This record gives sequence, C-alpha cells and structure tokens, in this order.
Amino acid sequence: MTNEKEFIAQLLDPKTQNIAFQKLLSDYQKPLYAHIRNIVLNHDDADDVLQNTFVKVFQYLKSFKGESKLFSWIYRIATNEALTFLNQKAKLNGITSEALQNKTIDNLKADTYFDGDEIQIKLQKAIVTLPEKQQLVFKMKYFEELKYEEIAEILGTSVGALKASYHHAVKKIELYVTSN
Amino acid sequence: MKAFKLENEPKIKTGFKTPDHYFDDLSAKVLQQINEKEVRVIPIYKRKKVLSLAAAAAIVIALMIPVVNNYNATSKELDEATLETYLSYQSNLNQYDLAKELDTKDIEKIGKSVALEQETLEDILSSNPNIENLISE
Repeated sequence: MTNEKEFIAQLLDPKTQNIAFQKLLSDYQKPLYAHIRNIVLNHDDADDVLQNTFVKVFQYLKSFKGESKLFSWIYRIATNEALTFLNQKAKLNGITSEALQNKTIDNLKADTYFDGDEIQIKLQKAIVTLPEKQQLVFKMKYFEELKYEEIAEILGTSVGALKASYHHAVKKIELYVTSN
Repeated sequence: MKAFKLENEPKIKTGFKTPDHYFDDLSAKVLQQINEKEVRVIPIYKRKKVLSLAAAAAIVIALMIPVVNNYNATSKELDEATLETYLSYQSNLNQYDLAKELDTKDIEKIGKSVALEQETLEDILSSNPNIENLISE
C-alpha cells in the first residue's frame, strides 16, 4: 500500500494537493456517482450529494488517519451523505424515507436520465421493501459489483454478515418480483 | 407465474444515465465549491475583523481622554490658590472686609500661628531697615 500512502501524502502537501485532488476526482467521480445515484435515485439529487461528498472529502483529508483504506473512507462519506440527504428530504416532505423512494421510482419513468423499462422499475420497487442495510448491500453487490471485503470495510460489518444480508435481500426481491 | 430468479436472468442494469459531458466539468464545479468554502474560513478575514474592531476601540478610547480629564478637573472642590486669586482680583473685598468676617475663634487661631519666637522676631526687626513702616501697620 505504499502507493496509497504516497498519494495521501501528496493530498496533504499544499504543493501537490491540487494535482492529487484532481486525480482523486477523476478516479472516483464515476463509481461514486453510481453509488450515490443508486441510493438517492434521481440525477439532480445525486449531483448535489456527489459534490458535497467531494467537498467533505477535501475538508476532512487532514483528519484522515489512514486506519482504513482511502477507498472505503470516501465511500463511507458518500454513503452517509446520501442517506442523510434522503432522510432530510423525506422529513421536509413530511413522509417516510420509503414513501419518498417509492415516489421517486414512480417519477423515474418520466426521468430523462433514466433508461429502463418495467423490470428495472420492478426491481427498484422490490429493493425499497428491504431494510436499509440490506438495500445498501444489494445495491453495492449487484449493481456496483463491489467485493464483499470492500463492502465490509465501507459499512463496518463482517463479510459473513454481509453474505447473509445479501442472501436475504435476493430472496425477498425474487419473491416480490414473482408476486407483483 | 414462473418464479423469478435473479441468477437465471440476464444482469439487470440500473438504467441510470447522466447528462452528456456531465463528468467533464464536475471536477471544476467541485473545486469552485471548495474555493468558496475556503474563502469563508481563511484566518486573514478573521484577523481583519479583529483588527478593525481593535482600531475602533482605540479611537473610542482616544476620544474619551479629554472627557475623562475634564471630568476629574471639574470636581467641585476649588483649590485654595484659585479661590485666593479670584477673591483678590475679581472682587472688591479688601483685607478689612475679610477681617470683619473673622470671629474670635479665627482670631485665636491667627494669634497662635503668628506667635513667633523671640529670636526670630528680633532678627526680623534688626535686619529690616523700614522699622517705622512695620510699627505703623
């Protein structure tokens, strides 16, 4: 992990900071966008949350101790930002987070930045019925194709627990899609 | 209906898209946001604020110096020298008027203070050539 150590040192050194942060942005913007979009579902919200995430990453870099990988640290910030955003938006509208997600999924059909058909919508509707943790695990494993080890570091759980979560999630989704 | 199995299906994509060229200017937008936030927290700004406050306080204190000085000077107790000067130059009082105002106690006090020692008196008299003047007073 010498490369990562060097990269973090470059991020903290005022002389190399700008170039290093540019690299971080170009490395992470696409996967992080996908990760956030999977949670908040529409593009405008994902755009907001993604920008906030990068600003926070920059602000908190000084306090990044390197006890976890940069990758999982950044993903953790993005996940927290996205979940906080969802909860605040739901509160603002006076509805539950699940109701908000259902509403957003209904709106997806008319979304210019959504190119899916019935099965995509049905799958999203099935995911919303899951508990928050299982939703995250399913999205990160199935859509983003992250490794269990990576997800475990991001969410701070054991690989065993994640496998069980994913298994439950898949079962519930299959049941939902079959009966709807 | 046939049971739906994720693993039997072709991989289902999310279907999420982004506007064209969205990622081209994203980093510029992020850096702009970071710079805006930085401007809000740079210490120079804070120092400027502290400096201007300190300058304002110094000006207020400087303006108050004459006021404070006057306040002390205008205390109601007149000093003796001022009173004497006033009485002797600004009024028609002469020593006879003043003498009239003296009561017996005052005269006793004066008597005590002028009780000069014999020797001093002799010295004054012997060294003063206008002795007649003094006697006539």
